[in-house]
Amino acid sequence: MNVFITSSGHFLPGPPVDNDQMEPLLGLVRGKPSRLKRRILQSNGIKTRHYAIDANHNTTISNAGMAAKAAEHCLSQSFLGKRQISMLSAATSQGDIVLPGFGSMVQAELGLSDIELHSSHGICSSSMMALKAAFTNLLAGEQPNALVVASELTSRLFKASRYEAAGSELDFNAEFLRWMLSDGAGALLLETQPRGNCFRIDWIRSFSHADAYPVCMSVGYPSDNPQHRSWQDYATYAQAEAAGALLIRQDVRLLENIVKLGVDGYLRLISEGRVQPGKVDHVLCHYSSHYFRGKIFDMMQRAGVGIAEHKWYSNLYSRGNTGCASIFIMLDEFRRTQRYQTGDTILCMVPESGRFNNAYMQLTVVEA
Amino acid sequence: MTEQVLSPQGQQCLQALMRVWFDFERQLGRVPLLQRLERGQFSKADYCQLLLNWRQQVIEGSRWISRCASSFDRDYSDVRSVIIGHAREEHRDYEMLEQDYVAAGGKLSDIQSAPRNIGTEALHGFLMYRASQSNPVDLVGAMWIIEGLGQKMASDWAAQIDKTTGGDGSYSRFMRYHGANDDDHLQKLYQLLDRLCQSPAQLTAIVRTARVTARLYCLQLEEVDNDY
Repeated sequence: MNVFITSSGHFLPGPPVDNDQMEPLLGLVRGKPSRLKRRILQSNGIKTRHYAIDANHNTTISNAGMAAKAAEHCLSQSFLGKRQISMLSAATSQGDIVLPGFGSMVQAELGLSDIELHSSHGICSSSMMALKAAFTNLLAGEQPNALVVASELTSRLFKASRYEAAGSELDFNAEFLRWMLSDGAGALLLETQPRGNCFRIDWIRSFSHADAYPVCMSVGYPSDNPQHRSWQDYATYAQAEAAGALLIRQDVRLLENIVKLGVDGYLRLISEGRVQPGKVDHVLCHYSSHYFRGKIFDMMQRAGVGIAEHKWYSNLYSRGNTGCASIFIMLDEFRRTQRYQTGDTILCMVPESGRFNNAYMQLTVVEA
Repeated sequence: MTEQVLSPQGQQCLQALMRVWFDFERQLGRVPLLQRLERGQFSKADYCQLLLNWRQQVIEGSRWISRCASSFDRDYSDVRSVIIGHAREEHRDYEMLEQDYVAAGGKLSDIQSAPRNIGTEALHGFLMYRASQSNPVDLVGAMWIIEGLGQKMASDWAAQIDKTTGGDGSYSRFMRYHGANDDDHLQKLYQLLDRLCQSPAQLTAIVRTARVTARLYCLQLEEVDNDY
């Protein structure tokens, strides 16, 4: 049994927002311009991104709504109609509501009936986990097809009012992601039969290292937190917010570990014989920032398993870092705009810094 | 970073050593003392205890590396020169470590009279044993781990120790100093790898010694929390 990606789609809300338009849209925290913005944008290299909130901080489309749009975009170019979809596997870092699972909300938004459902929760790698759940479901012969959707609406966390409500001065770790993340959704259709020019999934593997590293990216902890107090441990949510426990944070000091862990997984896959560096024709790596691209690239070169620069593809710079949706949005645009041939090997990598989960996938271009 | 050129055998060895190193870092991430350092719940007393335990290994370190140099015969005289140079550079490092200990509030006589902890005994025993074999090619694996740790101390631990204990760098000099000649040391290590890893058997031996060194180093750090 083989599983194929037979269609893909994306949804990016609103017009592209360039670097100068970001802060007016997200808002000045306490009326003051950010002092970190320039430095962070310079290092991540992102030029434009999309937001599902407007300058008045109204949400223009929900997270589940974006997921549904991407899925519809994907289906509109496929051989299947909604009625034929038998499984939905959905991923996000944070749904519109806390409960129920994101998948239920997306299913309702899409109007899919009687499907098997899976929701995957995490950060950047959650889309790969959702994809693997669907992939193995199909491989096991449980379902003939699955729609896999990943969507992020993080901009709601970046409104100036959120930081103001968190009281004390903004620290670097709490502000960092404000200039990194943006909104969007991507979708893939998996089928057990190939259709036209499509991608066969050769394998999906991930390696998680949460037992060996502290939390690196989070929502739910205040900044100084020796007791591991979570946002739910406060008497009221207002107190949690005032303590800064609802801000999204990145422990920038720990972030560098992502590079070596990303390369570590790559080396493991090489020694297992799954990856043959010389045979890889295209690399799609969800690096969060241009800065890390260079580091990953250098370390792979140093180990003698580098992949030539012209084989790397990314649309991070124009579509933004959309967390778990990034890899699907990247794969979708790659499919539509790049040149590839039957037999080409595509290696996808998603190193997640949340608590260090690294996911990898190999695809082969096939012609039905 | 990419200037070094390795033979295919050396390249393969480097890949395996990188994986041993990444695994070692994860092992370190599970050591309670280092978890406290990461969390920022690390006191000056913890730091003194770490130095006190570390000193014994630093002293022994200069011994095994000298012995390692002397175990290389005439066919490896080029290797011997490099290792003698390295041993000479580092054989009195422990004095800086002792000064840090005193600057952090410890008593010189305490650190000078402390015994080796269990992990240090094991690590020292293993390294001295390997260094006593003729042409101990595999010890480049041990150097890989120890050199890597020097860099990690300098780039990672020193700042975090100062941050959590309110230091100004005046008692973390030993750790910081190890980062100073990083690129140079790394380059020398790559050259050694190329020179010493010329067969599959040598590759296996180098990687195995790196693994054992990593495990015993970790044991040494786990033992810092234990009193005898």
